[in-house]
Amino acid sequence: MSLLQRSSRRYLTRHPWLMGLSVLGVAIGVAVVVAIDLANTSASRAFQLSAETVTGTATHQVVGTGETLDDDVYRRLREAGVRPSAPVVEGYGTLRRGDRTFQVIGIDPLADAAFRPYLGTGASGDLDLGTFMTQDVALMSAPTAADLAVSSEDTLRVEIEGTTHAVAVAGLIEPRNERTRRAVANLLVVDVSTAQRLFGQDGRLSRIDLLAPSDDAARAVYLDGVRRALPDGARLQRSDTRTETVTQMTEAFDLNLTALSLLALIVGAFLIYNTMTFSIVQRRGLLGRLRALGVTRGQVFRLVLGEAAVLGLVGSALGLLLGVVLASGLVQLLAQTINDLYFVVEVSEVTVAPWTLAKGALLGLGTTLLAALPPAREATNAPVSTVLRRSTQEAALRRWAPWWAGVGVLVMGGGGLLLLGTQQSIWAGYGALFCLLVGAALLTPLAVVALASGARPLLGRLTGVIGRMAARGVVTNLSRTGVAIAALTVAIAATVGVGIMIDSFRGTVSDWLEQSLQADVYVQPPSLVFRRSTATLDSSVVRRLRAVEGVAGAYSVRRVRVQARVGPTELVAVEPGPETEDIYQFRDGRPDTAWPAVRTGASVLISEPYSYRYDLGVGDSLRLQTDRGQRPFAIRGVYYDYGSDLGVVLMSRSTYEQYYDDRGVSGLAFTAADTTSVDALIADMRASVAGLQDVLIRSNRALRETSMRVFDRTFTITTVLRLLAIAVAFIGVLTALMALALERRREMGVLRATGMTPPQVGGYLTLQSSLMGAIAGILSLPLGYVLAYVLVFVINKRSFGWTLQLSVPADVLMQALVLAVVAALLAGLYPTWRMARASPALALQDG
Amino acid sequence: MSRSTTLIAILTGTLLALGLGAYWLTAASDATDLQTSLSVSEAMGSDTTGYRRATKVRPFTFPADHGPHPGYKTEWWYVTGNLTGPEAQSYGYEFTLFRIGLTPPDAAPDSTPSDWRTNQLYMGHFAVTDGTSETFHAFERFQRGGAGLAGAQANPFRVWLEDWSMASTGASTFPVQLHAQTEGVGVNLTLDPTKPRVLQGDRGLSQKGPGAGNASYYYSYTRLATEGTVTLDGDTLSVSGQSWMDREWSTSALGPDQEGWDWFSLQLDDGRDLMYYQLRRTDGTPSAFSEGVIVAPDGSTTTLSRSDVSLEVLDTWTSPDGTHTYPVEWTLRVPGKDIDLHVIPLFPDQELNVSVRYWEGAVRVEGSTSGRGYVEMTGYGESPGSPVS
Repeated sequence: MSLLQRSSRRYLTRHPWLMGLSVLGVAIGVAVVVAIDLANTSASRAFQLSAETVTGTATHQVVGTGETLDDDVYRRLREAGVRPSAPVVEGYGTLRRGDRTFQVIGIDPLADAAFRPYLGTGASGDLDLGTFMTQDVALMSAPTAADLAVSSEDTLRVEIEGTTHAVAVAGLIEPRNERTRRAVANLLVVDVSTAQRLFGQDGRLSRIDLLAPSDDAARAVYLDGVRRALPDGARLQRSDTRTETVTQMTEAFDLNLTALSLLALIVGAFLIYNTMTFSIVQRRGLLGRLRALGVTRGQVFRLVLGEAAVLGLVGSALGLLLGVVLASGLVQLLAQTINDLYFVVEVSEVTVAPWTLAKGALLGLGTTLLAALPPAREATNAPVSTVLRRSTQEAALRRWAPWWAGVGVLVMGGGGLLLLGTQQSIWAGYGALFCLLVGAALLTPLAVVALASGARPLLGRLTGVIGRMAARGVVTNLSRTGVAIAALTVAIAATVGVGIMIDSFRGTVSDWLEQSLQADVYVQPPSLVFRRSTATLDSSVVRRLRAVEGVAGAYSVRRVRVQARVGPTELVAVEPGPETEDIYQFRDGRPDTAWPAVRTGASVLISEPYSYRYDLGVGDSLRLQTDRGQRPFAIRGVYYDYGSDLGVVLMSRSTYEQYYDDRGVSGLAFTAADTTSVDALIADMRASVAGLQDVLIRSNRALRETSMRVFDRTFTITTVLRLLAIAVAFIGVLTALMALALERRREMGVLRATGMTPPQVGGYLTLQSSLMGAIAGILSLPLGYVLAYVLVFVINKRSFGWTLQLSVPADVLMQALVLAVVAALLAGLYPTWRMARASPALALQDG
Repeated sequence: MSRSTTLIAILTGTLLALGLGAYWLTAASDATDLQTSLSVSEAMGSDTTGYRRATKVRPFTFPADHGPHPGYKTEWWYVTGNLTGPEAQSYGYEFTLFRIGLTPPDAAPDSTPSDWRTNQLYMGHFAVTDGTSETFHAFERFQRGGAGLAGAQANPFRVWLEDWSMASTGASTFPVQLHAQTEGVGVNLTLDPTKPRVLQGDRGLSQKGPGAGNASYYYSYTRLATEGTVTLDGDTLSVSGQSWMDREWSTSALGPDQEGWDWFSLQLDDGRDLMYYQLRRTDGTPSAFSEGVIVAPDGSTTTLSRSDVSLEVLDTWTSPDGTHTYPVEWTLRVPGKDIDLHVIPLFPDQELNVSVRYWEGAVRVEGSTSGRGYVEMTGYGESPGSPVS
């Protein structure tokens, strides 16, 4: 080991706390990034796998206008000689045992072998057709059956949209490898007839699977033939369209999670930067002497980067381990959120993708090295003579502070331009956010000088000379304090920004729910995806509920997914009542002319996210696939809606019935007669449908509470990320300030020697670090606000198209200040204790 | 090695090990093979409990008996024919729709609104023999007898499996139109009987094995004038000729010691038609239940028993994969009826290699009289004895 390396090792081992905390900072940063990435990958892989399993080898699919299509289409295709082709009826069900969600797929065992050979159907299979086709039986994966302690011929209780069905296990699918084991883990395979019964879809199919020839010319002829055989309302699409659509649904959501996780890493990078800068500043004398002894710039540069690499490696390795552990927790949160917002996915395990780990390790190491570059350059660039004298540098730094601030303003301006120059790019939004953070960090030294100078008279009046000294010390040690405070400011501001954003979001949704839930009682079938319930109420339930005494008004809602020219679209058909016009707040369009048009004709309203996503507005026309073919609908208004980030198209029930054959109802809203209490009405309603479908009957207030609960649940993962960022920030404050205090042993020695008592020295130290914490806290508030502003009005808008009301919650701000000061106080305690015990004489010997 | 290098080496090693470990944990081969264990029962299984049996002579009523008999396990509408093209090319075709009861009739399917739920399975076999190019095309289809996808009805007569169908063209059962089309190969034929219906066996009860119920109900139209088109390789040719239609339903036909049959349907140029089936026992000898019939030009019938007929194999043919060896050239003699025939296939390879392998081919006849016909042979390989038993 060379002398240089030895000196480096000595330095690192002499400062275990400092190094340990820095490593921890990197580790948490890497862990968060890795965990989010793993959770995202696992969820999308689980979905992909289940989609692939169910799609099988199909290249194309025939689908209907809505969720289903008439099974006569299948008959037509078969008679037109379209083979192979297979009918599919699919949906989701919850198994009472184990409370697990299963994908239920109804197949025709006689036509299915070409598409899903692993099911063992077909003429050469060993499936008992007599049982499979004539009874309510299902096949399930053997390992899953073992997990749930289900054996062949047991009867399962499967709950679908509020109705429980008995389905016997007719057989077990024995997966031969790991991949297929995962693929079929949450699958129940039934006959088409059974699926139609379970989902109440008599005469309807979910889709028809096709296998087109691979040769281009033959494929074109084949697809042409299929199209000719299709009636109006049936549509041919590539089988990956569906997976793509679903992946697109969560794209913005995934991206934001990734960006937020990167924020934790950036905060971690600031910590590394701070640590490395600090170590350089502290060893400036040593480095100067080394240079004077003939060590080259390159050697010093490599030395500093080498140290950073060690920290980065250790931190990243720890981070990877921590990330995998964290991911297993996050993946359930994420799956819950996706289930609440988008689609059903059961993620039973974390897929540890080697690529994710490699990415995490590279990112950790890369960020560390990048953060160490400026300090390394600083250590090598200065001439030997000045490196030996710190005072010159402090003076230079103070002189340069305004220039740095200028550069900071420029960087921020660049971020602003990035926002102005782009319309929809979410990455540009985050780029601007990054510019903002860097700019703010560059501005910090000037702000520190100003704030500390401002605080000096105040502290002087309160605590006398010690206070003045403390304030003065912050400025005179700007090379150390400036960097530390900048790192802390950025870390705390990030948590403030995310905090404000979540709160604004919540407030807006809460106001919106207040506005839009005006009926007294709401009835829905239970649905697996909370915000996109397309489950259907039993028609007898609807009839009975409407007839309950005490009902003054009843309005139905139908939610279906249809195909629009622009893409898959959620269509809502409402029965407009007298209050309807109050419920929908228009962003564009005139309610007084829009509503009459929507009530009577081919006109629709679209929600704000829909308008944003597809760039549609009032006056545009929207082409929807209906049971009467493709039809144009005039857009009469854009209304605020926070129910779905995918957007919604709204039409009146009468228009819906004119264009679609479906007569189902997804939900009902009731107003109670003046003479009836809502609670009594709900009790009557529950009694009237007892024994039928198990529907949710809720009061206005209960539904609002449930909605907010779901909202909070969907933000759990964001909150967790924010807490982790807070943890990193806290560690940052602690590290930076403790390091500063420890480094000043000699100064303390001088103070002790000139007569200060240990408590006085302790007070001085604590006061100074509290002051720095307070400065960081105060600086983080405006920065946090600006971050929140960008998150709410740029990132959120670009990701989801929502207009949110920015509200600044006092507790988030207080939290930031308390975090900063408490961490600062803690950072002062340990050095105080050591200082008080140390002999001034020893401390005076230059260490 | 220096300490820090060691440290870095250890760290890198750890990272590498972590990565490899994770990869090992998650890597899986891409093969999507699964296997279903479990549920072993053949769709066309041999459990006959609960089905109706052909135990005694019954009166036939028409047109009702042209329709399905769902109480019995298996049933078929079986048509073969020899056709002549515009340039005297010879063609043969087989078009059979089978009905199979998956569960006994009283084990009614659960009540469900879905019209996909049914215990009736339909299987179609369609084969065309091109005597000129010596090519044979065979196809098989399955479909459930529900949701309008496949089914059978007596009045108006129609049996169908998707677009394969045999159906009345007018108010009466005959003429019947056959339609079967696949990629490149198809027939579209109109059939009209020129001889009356023949009730086989004892007034339509055809005993196949020892014991009551090991029998089928069986009637035939032995000669139907046939006109229409045959499509081969995309070319459609007009053809004419003669067809043979068998209707048979049963629950259990072969006994346990019977392994297959050789079945002849010959239309002789002297105006007579000859049907003879020889049931083979597991030891290779013909069963006593083998029988046949001769239908005179006027439609009158003479029953043949095993002792009336002598059958001799002249040549055999082995399938290309070497697993099945069938007799393909025969001498068939009915000494009492002055019948001494040499039965020769148009060419040997007329095996249907479908879910159940059997040989069913167009033959020509020389000897005491000339003629054309079809021969069906089952039970010559390891697969079960009959397409549907």
